[in-house]
Amino acid sequence: MNKVPEAVETRNDKNEVQDFEPKVVAFLCKWCSSAGSDLAGVSRLQYPPNAVPIQVMCSGSVSPMYIMSAFNKGADGVLVSGCHPGDCHYLKGNFYARRRIYLVQKLLKFIGLEPERFRMSWVSAAEGVKYAEVVTDFVKDLKALGPQRKLKAKV
Amino acid sequence: MVAIEDIRARAKELLESGKVRSVLGYRRGTASVLAEPAFVTAPEDTAALVLDATCVENLALYLVNEKKRQKTQRSQDTRPLAVVAKGCDGRAITVLLQENYIKRDEVVILGVSCENGGMIDTHKLSRALRGKAATGAAFDGNGGIKVAFTAGETTVPAAEVLAARCLECTKAYPLVSDYFFGDKIDERSYSPRFTAVSAIAEKSPEERSAFWAGHFERCIRCYACRAVCPMCYCDECVVDSTSFIVNPTTSADEKACRIRWIQRSASPSENAMYHMVRAIHLAGRCTDCGECERVCPVNIPLRLLNTMLEREALEMFEYAPGLDPEQPSLISSFRDGDPNDFIR
Amino acid sequence: MTRRAGVFVCHCGNNIAATVDVKHVAEELGKDQGVVFSKDYVYMCSDPGQQSIIDAIKEHELDSVVISCCSPNLHEKTFREASAVGGMNPFQCEIANIREQCAWVHKDKAKGTEKALKITRSAVRRVRRNEALTPIGVPVTRKVLVVGGGIAGIQSALDLANAGFEVVLVEKLPTIGGHMIQLSETFPTLDCSQCILSPKMVEVSKHPNITLMVSSEVKQVSGFVGNFKVKIHTKAQYVDPEKCKICDDCTPVCPTVVPNEYDAGLTGRRAIHIPFAQAIPASFYLDESACLGLNPVVCGKCMDVCEAGAIDYDVKPKTTEIEVGAIVVATGFDLYGQEMMAEYGRGKYPDVLDGIQFERLCSASGPTSGHVLRPSDHKEPKSVVFIQCSGSRDPAQHCAYCSKICCMYTAKHATLYKHHVPDGQAYVFYIDIRSGGKGYEEFVQRAMERDGVIYLRGRVSKVYQSKGKLKVMGVDTLAGKNVEIDADMVVLAQAMVPSKGTAEIAKTLKIGRDKDGFLAEAHPKLRPVESVTGGIFLTGAAQGPKDIPETVCQASAAAAKVIQLLSKPQLEHSPAVAKVRESHCTGCEMCVDACPFEAITLVNGKAYVNEVLCEGCGTCSGTCVRSAIDVKNVTQLQIFDMISACMGA
Repeated sequence: MNKVPEAVETRNDKNEVQDFEPKVVAFLCKWCSSAGSDLAGVSRLQYPPNAVPIQVMCSGSVSPMYIMSAFNKGADGVLVSGCHPGDCHYLKGNFYARRRIYLVQKLLKFIGLEPERFRMSWVSAAEGVKYAEVVTDFVKDLKALGPQRKLKAKV
Repeated sequence: MVAIEDIRARAKELLESGKVRSVLGYRRGTASVLAEPAFVTAPEDTAALVLDATCVENLALYLVNEKKRQKTQRSQDTRPLAVVAKGCDGRAITVLLQENYIKRDEVVILGVSCENGGMIDTHKLSRALRGKAATGAAFDGNGGIKVAFTAGETTVPAAEVLAARCLECTKAYPLVSDYFFGDKIDERSYSPRFTAVSAIAEKSPEERSAFWAGHFERCIRCYACRAVCPMCYCDECVVDSTSFIVNPTTSADEKACRIRWIQRSASPSENAMYHMVRAIHLAGRCTDCGECERVCPVNIPLRLLNTMLEREALEMFEYAPGLDPEQPSLISSFRDGDPNDFIR
Repeated sequence: MTRRAGVFVCHCGNNIAATVDVKHVAEELGKDQGVVFSKDYVYMCSDPGQQSIIDAIKEHELDSVVISCCSPNLHEKTFREASAVGGMNPFQCEIANIREQCAWVHKDKAKGTEKALKITRSAVRRVRRNEALTPIGVPVTRKVLVVGGGIAGIQSALDLANAGFEVVLVEKLPTIGGHMIQLSETFPTLDCSQCILSPKMVEVSKHPNITLMVSSEVKQVSGFVGNFKVKIHTKAQYVDPEKCKICDDCTPVCPTVVPNEYDAGLTGRRAIHIPFAQAIPASFYLDESACLGLNPVVCGKCMDVCEAGAIDYDVKPKTTEIEVGAIVVATGFDLYGQEMMAEYGRGKYPDVLDGIQFERLCSASGPTSGHVLRPSDHKEPKSVVFIQCSGSRDPAQHCAYCSKICCMYTAKHATLYKHHVPDGQAYVFYIDIRSGGKGYEEFVQRAMERDGVIYLRGRVSKVYQSKGKLKVMGVDTLAGKNVEIDADMVVLAQAMVPSKGTAEIAKTLKIGRDKDGFLAEAHPKLRPVESVTGGIFLTGAAQGPKDIPETVCQASAAAAKVIQLLSKPQLEHSPAVAKVRESHCTGCEMCVDACPFEAITLVNGKAYVNEVLCEGCGTCSGTCVRSAIDVKNVTQLQIFDMISACMGA
């Protein structure tokens, strides 16, 4: 049985206690995942508003710097989503993404960042339901982890 | 055993015949027991070349530095450079060849085999000698390091004083060379590859987090690790936008458009970012010469980051860096069977 | 860096405004640095909405525009065109999707508005650094290559040739016609297949715009849409089609006999032969793999008797290079291999046939002159069992998909059999009956009701020979009992699979295949005859199982798409392509290796991007460790700024 995650308490600028709302950056490839996200919208599926999307042309264009920089800027979670292997609009970009991002997530885990904070998914243009699920599950898991402090730059 | 006389003779012959403009090797150092790199241009100076367990430096670094220096020279001596290369150094040179940083005909590789020996770690040596200062160290061909110090000499087991990377080394000779000295021995009697990083990987996430937090806290961002790494040859490093190349045609807009991915402050988060970025940029390119760890003034175990990715590359992608100048790089190749389970 | 941005936030009626406070978004963005104009409006895509963009650009001298509205898939083009009318470069207009990816998926208005602010701000930060771009013009070659000379290839070639384009039709066999020319009659009209196809084949051979290359295969393709370079390899043509008089003095003297492909192995042929009487080109053909040696010392009898002097053993194969603007792939299908259905006795018993073999038996030009006779003893079969779905609809062991045509041609075969042997009995084992086309259902019903074909709903487990009969063990699920039939002949409706060589041609053309090996279309509804690779079109059974009416439709559709592509004097290629920052490039070639389109090469030690080949995917940018290559208008710096905006900075 999954334990219902307890809401993590945080304090806002006015030092008031509030439920922790994770900030997520989602890199979505234009041809599959962003289209899948659009389909979720067309189908009026509801999911938490914590993930702000950035549309990239291909998951292969996602540099490891984007992921690390997102954490550095305070993201509590980072999502990268692309076309299924074999379906990449640009033929092969997602294969390179798969390999590169495997290394990044291993590195993040090695230095002690909770591996649950980074997620990669294959969402096709037909998978609106899957996109909504991926975001919903991600936000739920992040709430249990609390704010990301390890890589966030102190201003 | 590698006969230093053979290396000296070959170096002398290359210089006398004018085939190379300089021979890059090792000579006795002045600062500590360690040898220092030397550019030898006069044939008679080849007598100063040495090769023993103190030759820790990765001479591939000086190939890079030479290349950069050449770009600023007006007149060029286009003859190749001869370089003494151990296994790890040879792999580094191979990566430089693979990346077209140097061309094959620009370098004459004098490959040397460490056989069943290797290079010392000065901290370990200090401990073994209980504070006595060593003046020389050489592999005795029989699992021991013969250490000379002011009051005499002694032999310590190699396993106690060899550098961690040497203990784990599986290929102690270069695969690409023009001349070769020593025997190609594949059976080494120390630890399996990736012993050190496996120990860290097996810690619990909390322990690992505390381990790295403790180390990154102490980093002073001196960039010695970057300076000593032959693969960090980028003219502008991702972290360091003040070394941006400015030439007469650089526009104000371009200067304003540099991305400051990482802050320069030595705070734990920024240090972690810097080291992670460096590790990821070296994935598939680092050949574990261990120099970054050796030169770190605050003793951060840097090679763990690089060998961790090297292990992943080998186990998951069957990729090993520096074996073949024609191989594609790790991140610009893929296989259909690459791991997919981590993706939802 | 641009500094005069205009922001337009759309209500989209109530679609966005219900869950996002659009006025607030417009107000807040108006305060941002670099934004000089910001407003909200109820329907930005409407005429007044678009006019407001045009007016604002002129009045406020805007150099960039962000429309915060629905998905860019819908109206990016619309707003870019409006921007151009306003006098601004269209690539300075970007869309922020706050509908599909925000308003429609979140109910909490406060949180939805916050997210919409971040999305809009992200687009504003990005557009600040956009370059003005101009589409790249690519000249095209008005010539088309059609690969495959079956009905699909023939139809496409004729449509294109009649539209005035030069066509090269390449076929690997010595004649065109494909599988359709092997058929006896076609459902549901029972038209004689040869009668409807031969005229088209002759038209192909006579058409001034069509160059027919038989015994030829495409070996290498390079280039890109509008500008392909193709190498075609043609086997040695020992018999000159110009000289051959089709007198047939040669076959009687040829000593070699091999299985005849045209009759699906039911008969033999000589090494020198004409594939069938109506072959196009109308010429005999010498098959060197069956020939004794092309050596007058060893044999040479055919050359001796050829009065026309059409045979020359010294002819060499040749390679031709052509330049074309588009390629149509029509490589067709084969039937599932003989070795695949051993449980039904295929390959073991000569009287267990596949559909094409049965067609040949029914055909007047076939091995038995149109009489249905058993291959084993030439006796007329009095009981024939037809097994549908042989190899299809079987994910566990064979093909998972339905081969679409088998229900119809089985009904046709059963009908034809009953016409030839009125006192014979035909049984059909089926799982479902798929008869969706015009007149198809009626055709099947006639087979059942008028021609007395017995349809049994159930599968066959085994076929074996016993006492001279083929015992078929099956089940009738509607009656709820096992069935055992003593058959004289069994006909299997073998699955349709991509033709041999489809994998190689897909690799040569760099187009994808689907999970079953058929050529993959770009999108089943939006782009059904295009491959993902620009300029390469798919048609016919190569793309998936289909019948002849659908094939002809699809062939004409592909021709229409080619005409669309090549009818303009030049193609417009998206200018959002990669750009190299030479000061940072060290020539390591990682981007060269990674580029899926081979658009990057090394020139003078630095990466160089062929802007026509570049599709702007950004894989190079994600790979480069030195930030030395970027895609215009989606640069790393722009993404950096967008990440900051997403974090609320």
